[in-house]
Amino acid sequence: MLRVIVNAILILLYATFVGFMFMGIIRKVTARVHRRIGPPIYQPIIDTIKLFGKKENVTHGVIFDFGIVFALGATILALMFIPLGSISVLRAYGDLILITFLLEIPMLGIMFAAMSSGNPYAGIGAQRALLTLLAIQVPLGFAIVALAEYYGTFSTYEIVMAQQVHGWSIFHLPLLLAAIAYDIVLQAMFGKEPFDIMIAPGEISLGPMVEFGGKYLGILQVQHAIGLFAETLFFSNIFLGGAVITTFSSPILNTLATLGVLLIKQLAVLFVAILISTIFPRFTIDQAAKFYWKWPTIIAALGAILASL
Amino acid sequence: MNELLLAVIFSPLVAGFLAWLFNVKGIREGIGVIGALIPLIGLIKLYPSLGQGVSYTITVGGFKLGFMMSHLNWIFSMIAAVVGVSAILGMVSTAKDGYEWLFALMSLTGALGIFTAQDLVVFFIFWEIMTFASFMMVLKFNRAASLKYFLLSIMGAYAMLVAIGLIYAKTGSFSFSDISAFFGKEAVSTMLGGTPAFSKLDVALIYLLFLLAFGVKAGMFPLHVWAPDAYSETDQSYTAIFSGVLSKAGVYGFILLYILMYGKLLIDLGQVRSAPAFGYVIAFLGGLTIIVGGILAALQEDIRRLFAYSSISQVGYILVGLGIGTSLGIEAAIYHAISHALFKGLFFLIVATLIYRTGKTEFKDFGGLAEKMPFTFTMAFIAILSLAGIPPLVGFASKWLIFEAVISQNLPILGGMVFFGSAIGFVYLIRFTYAVWFGQRPSDIEDTKDAPLPLAIGMAILGTLNVVFGVAPGIIAKELNAIFGRTVIGGNIWELELGFGRYNALLVTIWLVIGLLIAGILYFLGASTRKVPVTDTYQSGNPVTMDYNLTIRRNFFLPLKEAVAFWLRISFDKLYRDVWKSIEDFAETARNYIYNGNVQAYAWYLAIILLILAAMGV
Repeated sequence: MLRVIVNAILILLYATFVGFMFMGIIRKVTARVHRRIGPPIYQPIIDTIKLFGKKENVTHGVIFDFGIVFALGATILALMFIPLGSISVLRAYGDLILITFLLEIPMLGIMFAAMSSGNPYAGIGAQRALLTLLAIQVPLGFAIVALAEYYGTFSTYEIVMAQQVHGWSIFHLPLLLAAIAYDIVLQAMFGKEPFDIMIAPGEISLGPMVEFGGKYLGILQVQHAIGLFAETLFFSNIFLGGAVITTFSSPILNTLATLGVLLIKQLAVLFVAILISTIFPRFTIDQAAKFYWKWPTIIAALGAILASL
Repeated sequence: MNELLLAVIFSPLVAGFLAWLFNVKGIREGIGVIGALIPLIGLIKLYPSLGQGVSYTITVGGFKLGFMMSHLNWIFSMIAAVVGVSAILGMVSTAKDGYEWLFALMSLTGALGIFTAQDLVVFFIFWEIMTFASFMMVLKFNRAASLKYFLLSIMGAYAMLVAIGLIYAKTGSFSFSDISAFFGKEAVSTMLGGTPAFSKLDVALIYLLFLLAFGVKAGMFPLHVWAPDAYSETDQSYTAIFSGVLSKAGVYGFILLYILMYGKLLIDLGQVRSAPAFGYVIAFLGGLTIIVGGILAALQEDIRRLFAYSSISQVGYILVGLGIGTSLGIEAAIYHAISHALFKGLFFLIVATLIYRTGKTEFKDFGGLAEKMPFTFTMAFIAILSLAGIPPLVGFASKWLIFEAVISQNLPILGGMVFFGSAIGFVYLIRFTYAVWFGQRPSDIEDTKDAPLPLAIGMAILGTLNVVFGVAPGIIAKELNAIFGRTVIGGNIWELELGFGRYNALLVTIWLVIGLLIAGILYFLGASTRKVPVTDTYQSGNPVTMDYNLTIRRNFFLPLKEAVAFWLRISFDKLYRDVWKSIEDFAETARNYIYNGNVQAYAWYLAIILLILAAMGV
């Protein structure tokens, strides 16, 4: 019991810290692509501390508060079910379908809070977010189907273990197709260009985020950091082989090595997303829907059909 | 003990008649609620004796009418009784006269009779009682909608009658057990190369007729067109039964089809991959039902029609589960039937409350009601989480089972369809949430009160069950395993275990609470908050007053509409209307030419008939 609690706290702290570093890396790399120096890598942490330090916060009612808390709570919940090497808390219950659903729930909380503010920009942002969700769900679904059918199990941890024996998922053709589709979906899940339609800075004043200030925005920053960590981790686990290192005799070294390997894989996923996002302009929402229902869907469906043969 | 079964089935009907006779406010409500409570209490009392099998037979008009109660019947009857009680409690507030009580309770008897029927005659009689009663409920509110519903239902019912006739002609029995045994023997003899009594063509015909009959009732694409009109144009408390229970009659019908002739259908019609071909047809139509119902739900501008289409969409899941035809698939489908009844019953009671309190039905007239109706909003929140499939509510447990059942059978296309369905469910529910509960409140609903007590009790019953069965999904799984007599879904009361996947609802709940606590701590660490009114908001830096409409209430999903514009032009509603129009035209033409008022023409008809008789050598 105590072990579980300690593990959970460590995972949470690690995920939050790495998530913030990822946010910093995104800003740094984007700056370098633009030939700027950019902010220091720990800038998002400073930003968040500042947001929590505001003397007064403005709320629009109970649901406005609850939605934000719910979003962060659900993100933490999702994190606990994703295997982090061999040190996850609930990895035995890390069902593919469950995690896919859990990663969507935070959106519900943000939506509720944003819409309860009654701001029209938040409304239009919610509409775009929902249509994006609808658009990505088709290729995402096929990618998950392909995975489950190829491995014959829904347990994420077992999929990781299977990859230790048979090689990474992306080296098998059906799953490579699924991974490509999932990676395109990931762009929208991160909220990066060309699919940052939901937030759309400069176009609809940050959409759902428009009414949040002070600690509300601070909590959302934390949520974003953990979400970023969880999504990259999930992708690394199911497509890039995860990591369960047992070469060292000391368990602490093994754990550190596991985290290191996973971190490299997560960074790889992140870099692809950043580099795409820095060179592509934003899609409109109907273009995004049509795009996701065409190419990624075809690729992922092909993968799923090949996997089921 | 067995007489109790009779009381369970007929007490709503009797109560309905009494309520209609003593059409006095106060008395009819009391009688009605008691009439709906008796089945629930009776079913709970019957539960311990399910093992021995409870049955009862009465002889009417030369037919032996048999009722029986096994685990499967009990589960479906229980859905009817629980949703029935909640909806009837809602009707205490919303029903206006004895007429509504009579037919609402009559349709409950119809459903209970269907779920407990032991042979095809009883099944058909109660099917007709149910159809008639629900038709009368709709007729009072909207004639066109009710006639559309009636016509399609009657076509379905007579298709079923023809199929029953075909079966009786060769088997000589109406009883489920006899027919099932007969088809079982048929299947074996076909496999061994004997000549079966039913040819492949016969079997295919019976299958198609039953598909039509049950598909209409379940709202299966493309036979769903009656549902949006019929569900919306009636007392919304009653719609909780209409959608929660009566659509399950179609689902139960499909299960019955499986019980009667699974082996025979499998052998004669072959397989598609690992699924039986006849089941794959049902599953594929179910998948289309999910998509079509979901997209149309998102594009509705009327709260009742949104939930009508949503109902159609969710029944699609049940059909997918049934269609794949493994024991896991069937259990998943029944599970989803239970959770669909629970959350959709709750939703329609919420809609009933909204309409009762505000008198409005369109999204453009609502807004900002969450503050005025906190209890109803809480219930709506539970229902939304449940329908959208958010763990740890019952909607997730059942959807999860369907996902796993479909994907584990290696059916990728169906898997993609159910994934799309889960997202579209999310999408239309947020639209409902946004337009009704949040944002600016129009001034004419400024002093709306919360739900009246009977409606609130009805909602609380269903809301509690949504949460309880969600956190402890094993309760239902245990009952479902009893149908097959073996462990299909393993695990304990908190956990569902399938071998290739597991879901522990208690752990999800605990960690959600922990997550919320951590988030709450972060929230309370920050400085204090100040509440501002809805008009104190960012509007590109401009001041706003209540005269501006800041909440988007119309055409919320316009981009979606544009993205699927091509598909929206294909309307089955229009097709059926055109077909019906040409039938009417044909009737008119026939009337004009045959009954043309010319005496000599009638003389010629006589001559022609005589000639035919002569040619036949009479």
